[in-house]
Amino acid sequence: MKKSHLALLIAVTLSVSSPILADDVSDLKKEIDQLRADYESRINQLEQRLIQTENNSKTYQTDPVKAVPTIQNASNNNFNPAISMVLNGQFSDYRRDSEDYQLDGFSLQGEGGLATEGFSLGESEIILSASIDQLLFGQATIALHDDEGETEIEMEEAFIETLGLGNGFTIRAGRFFSPIGYLNEKHIHAWNFADAPLIYRGLFGNQLSTDGMKLSYLLPTDLFVELGGTVGNGDQHPGSGEHSGIGDWLVYARAGGDVGINHSWQAGISHWQASPEDRAYSGGHDHGGGGGSDPVLFNGDTDISNISLIYKWAPNGNFRQKNITLLGEYFYLSENGQLNNSAELASYDGKQYGGFVEGIYQFTPQWRTGVRYDWLGSKLRASDDELLEDADLDFSGFHPQRYSMMLEWLPSEFSRIRAQINHDKSSRDNDTQLFLQYTISIGAHGAHSF
Amino acid sequence: MKKFICSLLLLVAASPVMANITIFACEPEWAALSQELGGNKVTVFSATTALQDPHYIQARPSLIAKARQANLLVCTGSDLEAGWLPLLQRKSGNPAIQTGASGYFMATDYVDLLDVPSSLDRSQGDIHAAGNPHIQTSPLKILQVAQALSQRLQQIDSANATVYQQHWQDFEQRWQTAIKKWQQQALPLKGIPIVVQHNSWPYLFEWLGLHKVAVLESKLGVPPTVKDLHNVLQKLKVTPAKIVLNAAYQSPRATDWLTNKTAITKVTLPFTVGGNDQSNDLFSLFDNTIQLLLDAKQ
Repeated sequence: MKKSHLALLIAVTLSVSSPILADDVSDLKKEIDQLRADYESRINQLEQRLIQTENNSKTYQTDPVKAVPTIQNASNNNFNPAISMVLNGQFSDYRRDSEDYQLDGFSLQGEGGLATEGFSLGESEIILSASIDQLLFGQATIALHDDEGETEIEMEEAFIETLGLGNGFTIRAGRFFSPIGYLNEKHIHAWNFADAPLIYRGLFGNQLSTDGMKLSYLLPTDLFVELGGTVGNGDQHPGSGEHSGIGDWLVYARAGGDVGINHSWQAGISHWQASPEDRAYSGGHDHGGGGGSDPVLFNGDTDISNISLIYKWAPNGNFRQKNITLLGEYFYLSENGQLNNSAELASYDGKQYGGFVEGIYQFTPQWRTGVRYDWLGSKLRASDDELLEDADLDFSGFHPQRYSMMLEWLPSEFSRIRAQINHDKSSRDNDTQLFLQYTISIGAHGAHSF
Repeated sequence: MKKFICSLLLLVAASPVMANITIFACEPEWAALSQELGGNKVTVFSATTALQDPHYIQARPSLIAKARQANLLVCTGSDLEAGWLPLLQRKSGNPAIQTGASGYFMATDYVDLLDVPSSLDRSQGDIHAAGNPHIQTSPLKILQVAQALSQRLQQIDSANATVYQQHWQDFEQRWQTAIKKWQQQALPLKGIPIVVQHNSWPYLFEWLGLHKVAVLESKLGVPPTVKDLHNVLQKLKVTPAKIVLNAAYQSPRATDWLTNKTAITKVTLPFTVGGNDQSNDLFSLFDNTIQLLLDAKQ
């Protein structure tokens, strides 16, 4: 009985307590839910802290400074020089016969004429450069071009140069483009137009180079000031002949800088002097009397002075997006001496001068356009006019002029397609000239010189 | 005139006494870091600003003049400055900054680079053979460079070595604290899908765990064509992105095109010190970078 009593009691208690128990369970559930949420957030926090400590421990490990990386596969050809090649080709169209081209008041020499009409492979260049050792840098530029059906190889540049000689001094020796003007030191493919300015064509047969030495000194100032000079063997046109000592010399001074962040400039002056011996005027014309086979020769002194100005603008100094370049150069040649051929001799006094201005606008990273104006003059006197005529110097007094316009598309830093039109008044016969040209560079990254 | 000459002579005579280390930094981030680590013992010049594309600088006369006077070059290296730095070195006539000299410091020599190309061919654009040089977008890389740079300063100017050591310790502490803060702040950015204009950001992405969906420039350094942009657009239809990134110096044309076509948010990041008004030094550069990303996410 007692047992059943107890059972009943339990049953009653249970049945009585069951509503109370249900309440407790829901409470418990709530509690558990809360606990779970609590745990979850705490676990989340823990996780975050773990990530953090992971990150932190990562950052604390400042590795010992890495030595300059070792080069793998060290073999002999790791020391190959930087090699690049510039290829270009063009299509030229002239309204007049290019064979009849002349620049009045100037006698065209070397490569000074017009490019071959129609399709032609322009100058291809191979450029090799490298540090030679701890003291020297060396560069060679080999130019290949066609001349009357044969491919000619020309050593355009081959020089060595000191690397950080100290105190701003630099010495260069070998063959190099003379620091006479701004464009002269640049390779033709880096020029802004397909052809040389008329004054470069008239005085140098496109470009003046020197076989010799160059010394330059850079002042330790924030304003860029460079002073320098060259000495050479004097055989490069308009120099001529063999000289046992110094055949030509040049002095130059350059200054440049920035104005604010958007503008930069450079100005230069230079003076070149040589004493040509038997400089031959090939003369484009045979005046019936066999002048072509009996060339006129010049002996005397030649002085050339140059002044050049360059201004560049780029918004925020960022040349990538947009920029403008204005460039002007003026040359003045004065020479004194004698003209002769096998039969005659005359005293000669010649002045040839002129310059150009150009403006280039790069309006997007891939497009540039530009205009150029050339203007020349001359005053040539000889005691015998016939010799002047034979030397092709008889049109003095006329002022050749030329207007050029170009448009370039630059698919990348390494390629360029250019269209150019010239209204050319090099002589009394006006000409219209059209060029379509591609220029590309493969191999080592070229330099962005100013 | 006499006075002028006198003062000039005085200046020349006095300069060895002042003998600050003159630092030529190629980019603003290295100028800022040099200043942090050198304090008043160094005079720092930055060759470029944050609004200039460091690939396309010309060896201007003003830069040659500065390179002539430098005791230490602090540059990115890995061919970022291939177009102009070698020219500056050659024209400067300055032995201190020639390649391999103690005054020649290339930041990328001291970190491991990402995006090292498996093959080198210019049809892929203007690729960098050594890897992506834009390391300044990660503070972890900057820390590594800072340690190496401080050691270099101590080596060049051993008389002030303890000063540089102090600057380094001070900088390291502040920088580590800042990194923790930035990582905390940037937690919500993890995995966020992003389109970039130029491949300038792999180090930032690696650091914060961002997800690069597409690059607008299909060929490095070549402005994207309309076709490239349409390809990106197609890609975004499959994998949508939230943000399109460009750097302060880059033309906004391509990113603007994309924001017009899609609901994507454009963010112009400073990229380096001085890229916007808020980024005055290395610390505010990252403060601002993370803030701009967080703002764009919302």
